[in-house]
Amino acid sequence: MPIEPVLTKGFGSLDLTDLAVYRSVGGFAALTKALREMTPDGVVAEVMASNLRGRGGAGFPTGKKWSFLPKDGRPRYLVCNSDEAEAGTFKDRMLLENSPFNLIEGLVISAYAVNAKRVFIYIRGEFLAGYRIFQKALAQAYDAGLVGADILGSGYSVEIVPHRGAGAYICGEETAQLNSLEGKRGEPRLKPPFPANAGLYGMPTVVNNVETLMYVPHIIERGAKWFASIGAEKSPGPKVISVSGHVMRPGNYEVPLGIPMRELVMELAGGLRPGRRVKAIQPGGGSSAAIFEEDLDVACDFDSLAAKGTMLGSGAVTVMDDTACMVRCALTINRFFETESCGQCTPCREGGQWVHRMVARLEAGEGSESDLKILTTINRTITGTNLCVLGDSIMPFLSSVYKHFPEEFHDHVRLAGCPLHARSESAA
Amino acid sequence: MTPQRERRGAELVAKYPEARSALVPFLQYCQAEDGYVTDQAIADAAELVGITPAEVESTASFYSLLFRHPIGKHVIQVCRTLGCMLGGADELREHIRTRLGVENLETTADGAITYEEVECLAACDRAPVLQHNLEFVYNVTPEKFDSLLETWRRESPAAALPAE
Amino acid sequence: MSPEKAVREVSVTIDGNTFAVPEGTLVVEAAKHLGTQIPVYCYHPKLEPAGLCRICLVEIEKMPKLQIACATRVADGMVVHTSSAKVAEARRGVLEFLLLNHPLDCPVCDKGGECELQDFTMSYGPGESRLTEPKLHKPKLVDLGPTIVLDEERCILCRRCTRFDDEIAQERTLIVEDRGFKSLISTRNGGAYASYFSGNTTEICPVGALTSKAYRFRSRPWDLNHTDSVCTQCSVGCNYRVDTRFGRVMRTFTRENPAVDDGWICDRGRYTFNYLYAPERLRAPSIKRDGGRVDVTFAEAAVLAGSKLAEAAARGRVGVIGGGRLSDEEAYALQRFAREVLGTNNIDYRTHAQVYASPSRFGARLTDIDDASVILAFGAVTPELAPILDLRIRRAVARGHAKFVYMGPYRPAFTIETRYVKLQRGTLPKELDDLGDAVRRGAGQPGGSDVATIASDIAAAKKIVAIHSGEDAPSADAIERLVETLQQSGRDAGILVVGATGNARGAEAAGCVPNLGPGYAPVSGEPGMTTDQMLAAAADGRLDALFVIGANPALTFPDGALARRALKRVPFLAVADQVMTETASYAHIVFAAASFAEKRGHTTNLEGIRQAFAAAVESPLEVRTDAQIIGALTLATRRGSIGDDPTTLFAELNAAESAPRAKTGGGALARPVVTGASAPIAVPDGALTVIPIPHLYAGGGAAAHDPGTKPMRPEPYAVFSPSDARRLSLDEGARVKLSGASGSIEVSARIAQQVPDGSVLVLAEMPEAPHNLLLDASGGGWANVEVIAGAAEAAG
Ligand SMILES: Cc1cc2nc3c(=O)[nH]c(=O)nc-3n(C[C@H](O)[C@H](O)[C@H](O)COP(=O)(O)O)c2cc1C
Ligand code: SF4
Ligand code: FES
Repeated sequence: MPIEPVLTKGFGSLDLTDLAVYRSVGGFAALTKALREMTPDGVVAEVMASNLRGRGGAGFPTGKKWSFLPKDGRPRYLVCNSDEAEAGTFKDRMLLENSPFNLIEGLVISAYAVNAKRVFIYIRGEFLAGYRIFQKALAQAYDAGLVGADILGSGYSVEIVPHRGAGAYICGEETAQLNSLEGKRGEPRLKPPFPANAGLYGMPTVVNNVETLMYVPHIIERGAKWFASIGAEKSPGPKVISVSGHVMRPGNYEVPLGIPMRELVMELAGGLRPGRRVKAIQPGGGSSAAIFEEDLDVACDFDSLAAKGTMLGSGAVTVMDDTACMVRCALTINRFFETESCGQCTPCREGGQWVHRMVARLEAGEGSESDLKILTTINRTITGTNLCVLGDSIMPFLSSVYKHFPEEFHDHVRLAGCPLHARSESAA
Repeated sequence: MTPQRERRGAELVAKYPEARSALVPFLQYCQAEDGYVTDQAIADAAELVGITPAEVESTASFYSLLFRHPIGKHVIQVCRTLGCMLGGADELREHIRTRLGVENLETTADGAITYEEVECLAACDRAPVLQHNLEFVYNVTPEKFDSLLETWRRESPAAALPAE
Repeated sequence: MSPEKAVREVSVTIDGNTFAVPEGTLVVEAAKHLGTQIPVYCYHPKLEPAGLCRICLVEIEKMPKLQIACATRVADGMVVHTSSAKVAEARRGVLEFLLLNHPLDCPVCDKGGECELQDFTMSYGPGESRLTEPKLHKPKLVDLGPTIVLDEERCILCRRCTRFDDEIAQERTLIVEDRGFKSLISTRNGGAYASYFSGNTTEICPVGALTSKAYRFRSRPWDLNHTDSVCTQCSVGCNYRVDTRFGRVMRTFTRENPAVDDGWICDRGRYTFNYLYAPERLRAPSIKRDGGRVDVTFAEAAVLAGSKLAEAAARGRVGVIGGGRLSDEEAYALQRFAREVLGTNNIDYRTHAQVYASPSRFGARLTDIDDASVILAFGAVTPELAPILDLRIRRAVARGHAKFVYMGPYRPAFTIETRYVKLQRGTLPKELDDLGDAVRRGAGQPGGSDVATIASDIAAAKKIVAIHSGEDAPSADAIERLVETLQQSGRDAGILVVGATGNARGAEAAGCVPNLGPGYAPVSGEPGMTTDQMLAAAADGRLDALFVIGANPALTFPDGALARRALKRVPFLAVADQVMTETASYAHIVFAAASFAEKRGHTTNLEGIRQAFAAAVESPLEVRTDAQIIGALTLATRRGSIGDDPTTLFAELNAAESAPRAKTGGGALARPVVTGASAPIAVPDGALTVIPIPHLYAGGGAAAHDPGTKPMRPEPYAVFSPSDARRLSLDEGARVKLSGASGSIEVSARIAQQVPDGSVLVLAEMPEAPHNLLLDASGGGWANVEVIAGAAEAAG
């Protein structure tokens, strides 16, 4: 069930980093509408009615998040999360690099809605190219009076400040991001207080994902009803999903939420290499538990995947075919979390490191049955015991593939190495 | 602090409601100038944003793109996470390590190239990937790497890790 | 003071017991009401909840995940389970993670027996170990600075230490470096963690990761005997515990008294006990003989000294100097000795520039700082003179309700935001009177001047605390006038005088002054001589004997030349002290005095609270308490009888104070006649004005000889302004000779922006280079500067 692309429309054929081109396809009409015809509360209400859910990972309803801000006269901030470092996710970078004006338009409308006078966009340090593209676009937008003082004569003014990160996945977590923006170590904060009450510089703050904010102009232009009519009932709207791994056409696909995994992987992404079968799929980035061949009909939306014990997360589908060694796949994931733990919490810091060491041993053929025994129970003390949810992301993939392919793990011990590699070697 | 640094520092501070927010951008700027975050840069940053040098050190050490010791004019950062692994990153890393004669986070004997294995670079659809001085190189094969390496060796980039 | 805000009580059920606690109570604290200890590592009641270690997880009904007790606040009707199976499993998990790379070197760990990792592993740890994981090895002996070493393997990254340094000390030099499992506690670039409060981190470290160099491997906690004591190193009077083993002091440990010390002690207090066992400690009395000194028995010394003092007393030519380092009981005995035995009112505890200790009816409490809106400090460099008082100021300023104003001749390095007002010598009284006028006239001051700025700070202030160094009588009077004005304008205002010695206030209250007896009651007969008068008399040959007890005026009295002349010339000098000070070196007879740890009694802190301390160890054989020395001298003079039992003396002191100054107003204290303290001094062309500066580790007694504090003790130095340094062709580190009107000293040069041009800051009370050789009786002085060696030469 393909839809007309919304965010990615014109990608590959139009140079949307040119303001004139963006305008020629209707860009900034929504901004004009919002500022001239709508009150901030009206914008919030529209977004609320669209039931837009955050595209950054948690799927929290955006309008509702905005409505939490206390009306107490303190300055408010909008922070756009463009840190995108979840393993397997690469949609925000593409959106940033290809359609910076859509993002800027979304930032200004959203800032207007929450009455923020300053917006920070936190761009992952590695995205130097994206940062440059955004800065260039921002300068054009300032020159055109679309950002800055008295936008389009509306009396509303807002500044947008791009801020480059410096290398740390955890800075994608919203409170870590706020600390990082404040020039501190990017460590998640204890909650409460929540950012809505005490966020950036202690002020009420909204943090939203790039993709989330880019839908806002489209919702304003075409109406909440239009948006809500797309996709799944409780997860409406389009979603850009990053598909990678063992598929013929890896890439970003803008699809209606709720699209069956089979359609996404087997049709849009071109299916697997000839003769290969799906072994495991991470449906929501490195933090998500795997689903397997028999789960291919699951709908890709927040609730359906949650019902399967995993998640849509930021929308990153990584496909592993039957040549993939599950232990080695898990190794990359567990090494990721060991490297990226901020180190504040004991279970995440120590447990994550321990798990990585055990999986690395297994992968190298030096593991033991006692390692495996520990791996079956350790999730109970690592998961759900930490300050932020990074710690909860350490175990899901490993536990799911171990549970589904236990023999593969035991074989690594028994054969003191990888059975798959052994097989392919003997075949050769 | 050099006058130029002081000027840049002031510009950065002006972007934020609180000076400390300019800390990392300022260190990035210093790193681009000096090649890495020098002791002087730490002291300058402390002075600029009004915190102790130790606090600057603590903050700087958190971020993997800030280096507190000299690195090469070329920084090659190869992704090793799942998407790239499935696309052959393990073999690629092996090749590069042998080719450069270094391990993770080491610099070649001539001081020119620093090699680092990094986590997901958000380009899994074109695996395996690496960044050379923060520029993406996609679908890297050992052969492609070798020929790029020759090109890189001939270049003398202004900064391995540009700030802007 | 504002009335306590009514706190709402909420009901909570913990492990089946329902009870009420104030709203906002942390679950971990609520559990304590039940006597239930929820294990914690990162949590510390004095630090902001951080929620890092995760050992305190508890089950709270209606919450899907376990919650941390250390940061979750009780809500009405909350039902908490602290030891359900789920909780036990999570706890075991956290312990298992912490032990994963922990070296388990408990047998050689200083913390063994008081280690929270050990304790909780006993109570909740995994019964069977599955920790066959090879340990990650990390550095085990990281030198963090002069006082502390870090064992990285033992560190569990609870961050109490760095949070202490951040939130409490606010110095931010101890940090977390790197991230994830590579995180470690560190200083910048291996620089020194040289905080005055560093020792506290060894106490709050829940494991044996941070240990005191002074205590490493010295003893096991369970072998220690504990004695409640009070630190006498400065006038704050922090409560602490003296831990001993085999009759020897091993370490000191905080003993929280929130109103005084808030649970902390400074490193000077913590580590200054090692001198007890240093070779320089006096272990027997000695007498001057044939140009040298010979040891004698205590009895011999007492008889000899007693008769000499009695002879001088008979001629009315005797004086007693000291009291500020004695206990209250001993100070009381001392003034009785002067008055009843020697028959003189020539007694004075004021051996420093300090001229008074008690701000009469304007006294403030230390806790007044906690809710003050303005803190005005006059010449009192609190971080150097009273570190734990300074912590209170830091906290008040950090919380944002207090402004800190410092008035003095130069700008000391405060850690907190300071409004600094530069004072010319002698101008403080006028500035304060102007300020008083401004306050009386009310708000709307013309802006611009310092007075106007402070007046506007004060205009909005409800509560003002003035902190004074106690130096300079006209300033003292002006401060009292100002505080009176503030009180009349309806503000809460009071004064704290930071004593130059630990028990200055106790000595003053006990009557160690020339015109007032115990309880500030005017003495009968003619008032005696003040310290300066006694020294002048001795120097002129008008006194036949001086008894100096627990004091070192040669080094501390402002006019160093006068003090030395007096001490050398007086026909008979008896000194009682714990180590060989310069003053003692001039004495005909020196008594070896007991230390604070070797006696019991009371001491009065700067706000006037009298606190008891107990004897922790016995003194060496020929060493006596000051009370015993006074008692024996009394006997030897055959002119009366003063007991040496602290209990009796204390009862007598209390009785003598039955007419306290608070009721009657007492008598005005005779102040030393400091000639010209308010007048600018005449500085010869080319010379620099000398400004003495205090340092926590300076001093000529215990501090000069304590191996525990030696690493922190600075070399004598003087600080020049950059432009004076240029003019004098001085580099940082150069060796210079400073010559004043009556002497010269050699020091190394430092250069700093904060020094006013034309002045030089000279480190005070360093026996190697006595600053008071450059001063006159007014505490002022000047120096000509001569470079002896350049920086490179001096270093080589
Ligand atoms: C470890 C971790 C990493 C995260 N990384 C990102 C990220 O890179 N980008 C992002 O938008 N959200 C990320 N999030 C989610 C954010 O915390 C936050 O929920 C999100 O930015 C909110 O935006 P949304 O409501 O528009 O989805 C991360 C969360 C965690 C726990
Ligand atoms: S769970 Fe991990 S990443 Fe999150 S705060 Fe704790 S240590 Fe940091
Ligand atoms: S004591 Fe609660 S998390 Fe550490």
